[in-house]
Amino acid sequence: MAEPIMTARDVTKLFGSKTALDAVSADVFPGDIIGVLGKNGAGKTTLLETLLGFSTPNRGSVTVFGEDALAMSAQTKARIGFLPQLDELFAMLNGKQHLAIVSAFHSNWDRALIERLVAEWSVPLTRRIDSLSVGERQKLAVLSALGHRPDLLVLDEPVASLDPIARRQFLQQLFAIAEDEDRAVLFSSHIVSDLERAANKVWIVKDGRLYWQGYLDALKESVVRLHIRARSALPRDIAVPNALVTRVDGNTAIATVARWQPSEAAALAQRFDGSLDVESLGLEDIFLELHR
Amino acid sequence: MFVLKPQSGIPIYRQLVEQITRLIAGGQLAAGTELPSVRELAELHTVNPMTISKAYALLESEGLLERQRGKPMRVAARRRNQAPLTQRLQQLEPAIRDVVLAARQLEVGKKELVALLGDTWEKNDG
Repeated sequence: MAEPIMTARDVTKLFGSKTALDAVSADVFPGDIIGVLGKNGAGKTTLLETLLGFSTPNRGSVTVFGEDALAMSAQTKARIGFLPQLDELFAMLNGKQHLAIVSAFHSNWDRALIERLVAEWSVPLTRRIDSLSVGERQKLAVLSALGHRPDLLVLDEPVASLDPIARRQFLQQLFAIAEDEDRAVLFSSHIVSDLERAANKVWIVKDGRLYWQGYLDALKESVVRLHIRARSALPRDIAVPNALVTRVDGNTAIATVARWQPSEAAALAQRFDGSLDVESLGLEDIFLELHR
Repeated sequence: MFVLKPQSGIPIYRQLVEQITRLIAGGQLAAGTELPSVRELAELHTVNPMTISKAYALLESEGLLERQRGKPMRVAARRRNQAPLTQRLQQLEPAIRDVVLAARQLEVGKKELVALLGDTWEKNDG
């Protein structure tokens, strides 16, 4: 297996008495497109910023391309692209001037790529940045983060203000990056449907913890909703193995379970003397069920 | 050609595997038919190319698709009475369970058993 691009071990971050990150351990491997999902205030932004060494964890450590995230060399920093949640564009400049400044910091700026994306995404380059719409600003900010062809691209809510067409174009660009087998993308988003298209792995952040991390396919196969129909009334407190939520109503019960194994179905149906239907859940439903 | 629903609870790769399996079984995809490339399908549906590769690889391991060097995947010629690999492996399982049980009773280790299996395979080759 390839070496991880980024490794976080036991990363804990406190803001006063509040635990913003709680013992987070995770890896980013080449070729990964990882979607970071969480409620507002769950700790996504703190997580991304701490992973990149912008803030010092109270405990634990992060390694990026083999270096401590808090003491990265200039060469390693140049391999990272970061899009903060609030863009850091120069308001008085126009897009062309802005990109000229950003590109001057990078010896390997891919002018052809940016020209192509400016045309494809219809980014206005000649108007002052403070006159652009939120979506136009966001497109410009994304371009600023990926023009130097970073090996690790970290994006905090990159698409919230983009229209569906622009979001699709943006996702295609992420695929082009991850296709290159040495590179990886880490992005947080509330737009679950984008995450389902793009991500091979998902991190679910809940109360500062990495509540779930792994392959999106595996998550969808392991969290399911069971519909139990028994011949007689079910007890109110039935115990369904690995249930996150259980609702009993007379002869029927609905339980959302984690770590589902299809081989358990027959035994479970027999135990409740009835029938069992397994409903698979989309990521949005899974996210909601994990937060009940 | 395919209907992929990223928001479904069924992983995208499985949706694709199921559809292609059905289309082949139903004869809509005849032997020799070339499938769209991973990149084409990924672009058309805006889904991660890895998920398409995963589906193709699975169908290849089941003998439904075959890889051609430098060309798209195509539907494999149907071999008579050839069940998918997973199904054939399942059929082997009881026999293997018996062998493993016998090995345990004789206190033969896993390594030795696997080596013996390899030797026996070689001796009976062809």
